[in-house]
Parts: sequence; C-alpha cells; structure tokens
Amino acid sequence: MHAPLPTTDAKITAHEFCLFFGKIQALRNITLDVRRNSILGIIGPSGSGKTSFLRAINRLNDLHPACHTEGLLQLDQTDIYHPQCDPVALRKRIGMVFALPIPLPLNIYENVVYGPRLGHHCPPRAELDMLVERSLRAAFLWDEVKDRLHTSGLRLSGGQQQRLCLARVLAMQAEVILLDEPCSGLDPISTAKIEEALTTLKAQHTIVLVTNNTKQAARVADETAFFLMGELVEHGPTQKLFTVPDDPRTNDYVTGRFG
Amino acid sequence: MRVPPKYTQMAAITLLGGATLLTLAVLVFIIAFVLEKGLPGVTWTFLSAEPQDMGRAGGIFPIIVGTLLLPLLALVIALPLGVGSAVYLCEYTRETRLTRVIRFGTDCLAGIPSIIFGLFGLVFFVGILHLGWSLLSGGLTLAIMILPTIIRTSEEALRAVPYAYREVSCSMGATRWETVRRVVLPNALPGIVTGVMLGLGRCISETAAVIFTAGTVAAMPTSAFDSVRTMAVHFYLLAREGISNEKAYGTAAVLILAVLLVNLAAYWMMHAFIRRRAR
Ligand SMILES: Nc1ncnc2c1ncn2[C@@H]1O[C@H](COP(=O)(O)OP(=O)(O)O)[C@@H](O)[C@H]1O
Ligand SMILES: [Mg+2]
Repeated sequence: MHAPLPTTDAKITAHEFCLFFGKIQALRNITLDVRRNSILGIIGPSGSGKTSFLRAINRLNDLHPACHTEGLLQLDQTDIYHPQCDPVALRKRIGMVFALPIPLPLNIYENVVYGPRLGHHCPPRAELDMLVERSLRAAFLWDEVKDRLHTSGLRLSGGQQQRLCLARVLAMQAEVILLDEPCSGLDPISTAKIEEALTTLKAQHTIVLVTNNTKQAARVADETAFFLMGELVEHGPTQKLFTVPDDPRTNDYVTGRFG
Repeated sequence: MRVPPKYTQMAAITLLGGATLLTLAVLVFIIAFVLEKGLPGVTWTFLSAEPQDMGRAGGIFPIIVGTLLLPLLALVIALPLGVGSAVYLCEYTRETRLTRVIRFGTDCLAGIPSIIFGLFGLVFFVGILHLGWSLLSGGLTLAIMILPTIIRTSEEALRAVPYAYREVSCSMGATRWETVRRVVLPNALPGIVTGVMLGLGRCISETAAVIFTAGTVAAMPTSAFDSVRTMAVHFYLLAREGISNEKAYGTAAVLILAVLLVNLAAYWMMHAFIRRRAR
C-alpha cells in the first residue's frame, strides 16, 4: 500500500477508505482529494454511499454502534480516525447541513450561537451579536429575520429553516462545510440563495455538497465525484465530468439514462 | 349491512364525549362534596393552630408543615437520582439486555404496593439504620417509592425528543453532556415535570408507608429525626378512630386545595419556561 501523494492543496484526503455498518459495506476503497477552498459535488443514485461518506468526514457515523472503517481519511494531512483524534474537536472544525432542515427548538438567535457557545469559553455578547448578523447575512437570511431574532426557529418556512441551518454552521467558523442534499425540499428561490451563498463561501471554507440534482452540481461544484453502490466511479473537474466523462456509467447517469 | 360513516362518527363523538363528561362529573362531584363538608371548618385558626386533644380541637399547622416537608424531602432525594438514571439509561448506554432488564425492573417496582415500601422503610431505615420514625426515614422511603415512576416517565420524555436534535447538536461539536443539557433535557422537561407531579401526588396522598416510617406525631418537627404527620395520615386517623368528622373533612379540604395549588404552580412554571425558550 503506497502513501497518498503529499499534495498540500488537499484539505480532505481519502485513501482506500472503506466504511462498514456491521456487515454492510457502505463505502468501498474511496480514494479522492478535496481541494482547499473548493466545492466538491457528490452525485449518485440513492443508496450509493454519499451520505455515509459525508458522515464519515465528521465522524457522525460513530453514533451508529456497529460502524467501523478501514483505510485512511485525513483532514489537513492528519488521520480523522486516529485513536488520538478527538471527534468533538474534529466536529467543531466541520459543519454539516442535513437534508431536512432541522432547526433546534430554540429561537433564531440561539440557533445561530449554539456552536460558538459550546465548550468552555463562550464569546462575549457583543461578539455573538456580530457573529449572528454576519452569519445570517452570509446565508441570505438576515433581511427576512432581523426583526424577529427571538422567535422560534421552527416558525420559519422550510427554505428559511435550511438557510438558518447554514447560518448556524457558518457561525461555528468551521473550516469545512458538508451539505447533504440541502436543497432537496426547497423551492427554486431558496435553492438559488443557498447556491449563491455557497459560491461566495468557498473563499473561506472547503465545501462538500451532496446533491441529488445533477444540474446543481454542474452549477456550483468545482469538481464532481460520481458514487455508485459504495464505489467512487469517477472524480474530476465538473466541466469534464459532465461533458466528456471517462466512464460510461457516469455518462449514463449525468445524461439521465440511468435506471 | 354497513352503517354509514356519518352515523358511526356521531356514535363515536357521543360515546367519547360522554365518557369525558362522566369522568369530569365524578371528579367535580368528589371535590365539591369534600369542599362542601370541609370548607366551613377551614378557618385561620384551623390553619395556624396546633391540634389539641388528639385533633378533636385546635388546628393542623404542624401537619401542614409535615405535608410540605415530607414530600419535599422525598422529591429532593428522588428527583436527581431518578432523572440522572433516566439520562444515563437513555443517553449514555446503548440498548442492551442489561438496560432492558433494568427497565423491566423499574416497571415492576413502580407497580409494587406502597405498603411494601413502608415495610422495607420500617425494617431498614427505622430499624437497621436507627433513624427512628422520622422525617428522614419517611422521606427516604417515599423517595424509593416514587423513584421508579420518575425514572420511567423521565425516560419516556427523553426518548420523545427527536433523535435528529441529538445528531445536529453532536455534529456541531457538542459533547454528549452539552447535548443533554442544552437540547434534550429542556425539551423533555414537560414530560419530566408530569412524572414528578405524579410522584409528588403519590407522596402527598400516601398513608400506610408514612405511618410505618415517619410515625404519626402531630407536633412541629425540630429536626430531620423528628416524627411528622401528614394531612393524609391525619385525615385517616381522625376518620378511622372516629375522633372528629368535622376536623377530618377540614383537613381533606385543605389537602385538596393544596394539591390543586401545587399542580397549578407546576403548570404555570412549566409554561413560563417553554414560552421563554421558544417564542
Ligand atoms: N445507519 C445505517 N445502518 C445500516 N446501514 C446503513 C446506515 N446508513 C446507511 N446504510 C447503508 O449504507 C448504504 C449507503 O447509504 P447512504 O450513504 O445513505 O446513501 P446515499 O446517501 O447515497 O443515498 C446503503 O446501502 C444503506 O443501506
Ligand atoms: Mg443520502
């Protein structure tokens, strides 16, 4: 087994990475890099392991009792699954937006400051206020909620809730943002707002976007990976993957000819 | 022949509505009956004076104090233990055979008649630990008695909090405890309060276990090692020994009003909490 090439440009590196839920193998020998300050789009039919891969990056699969991994998964060249890696500290560096918008049952303000408030040193109020405004602006939600920051996050519309979830992740000032089909239940306008946010956010963050909408990947992703039944079929610049893919299965999927 | 839905619907509404009405009517009748017989005897003197001549005359002040102290002590002991165990079982352990055995055990314990707990308290706290018939023995016994109820209702309340909230909190870098404290417990609070009120109700209305462990001395307790008498016990003794029907109903009226008040206070506090959290 040879070591992964030391490309300092890579924020996340997977090398021959496998993931098991008990006897079920959800990921098979995934090898790919996610470049710093880029958006990696992950596409593939459902059940192909996209969500599992995202949740492997922030070790959320650990919550599953029978989950174990093989191979290597690195963040900034350090092994995410090393016994000495603290998953809590790791997750503070990696934000995640889930497929369904799940605001915590708190008011909008408290939702946004949930991350920054964790741990031992809670920032002062003024700093939190600033953080809330900045995060909500970046998620294109500020104008809609600035007058009702203290109403419950559950009172927002679905699209607003998902942008709140994005703002919540931004307030964590995480290095990596994982999004799992964040627009699957949203209207086109909310979707456009989230996509616009993502393209500006990659200046500060590294983004992995799982999407069931190949057009969305084509619009926002710098590179795209195609997953199929737990395997990485193809990974390359978005443009190339959508126009001249190497693998016929990729071609079938992106042209919509896939069963 | 099929009955058209319109009629089954009407029948259902009538039956269910009737059942509700009947329950309410019985409840109102009992409360009205006791208050009607008891309230005339509830005067300021009755509330503030010591009982005299075994309760034939005077008031019930030390007994009110005993009714406040004993369940309070039981709660102070049982609440942290019960909620703590529920949090441990629900948030810190995976579902295994052991947790199922523990759950089955608590279910069984919750169904055991209180007199058994009383007997245990008498043997263990009063006898072996030499705590005597005292506030402390009674409080410990009642705490053990309501512990299973508090554990089970708290556990149900914790389980009712959506799993997704835990996942979200965890994904933001919260430790398990931070998740429990900031998300799970506040959302489970209404259910936990319900369990606590059930337990409190059992403590306030308990007679047998209290007589066995806290004694029946109707005087002001000066320490945790003094015997106390609760209103339920007082009522039982007055009525049972035929000491004074008037004083017995007076005590019952105060007891009912007290329970009503405690429930209202808990209800109000819980709603204030929920409103403050998510407006
Ligand atoms: N918690 C789990 N327990 C068992 N199997 C799981 C679990 N999560 C995912 N899997 C399995 O892993 C495979 C990949 O699922 P997933 O990552 O959710 O795919 P996708 O997100 O691409 O739809 C599926 O076969 C699924 O059954
Ligand atoms: Mg998925």
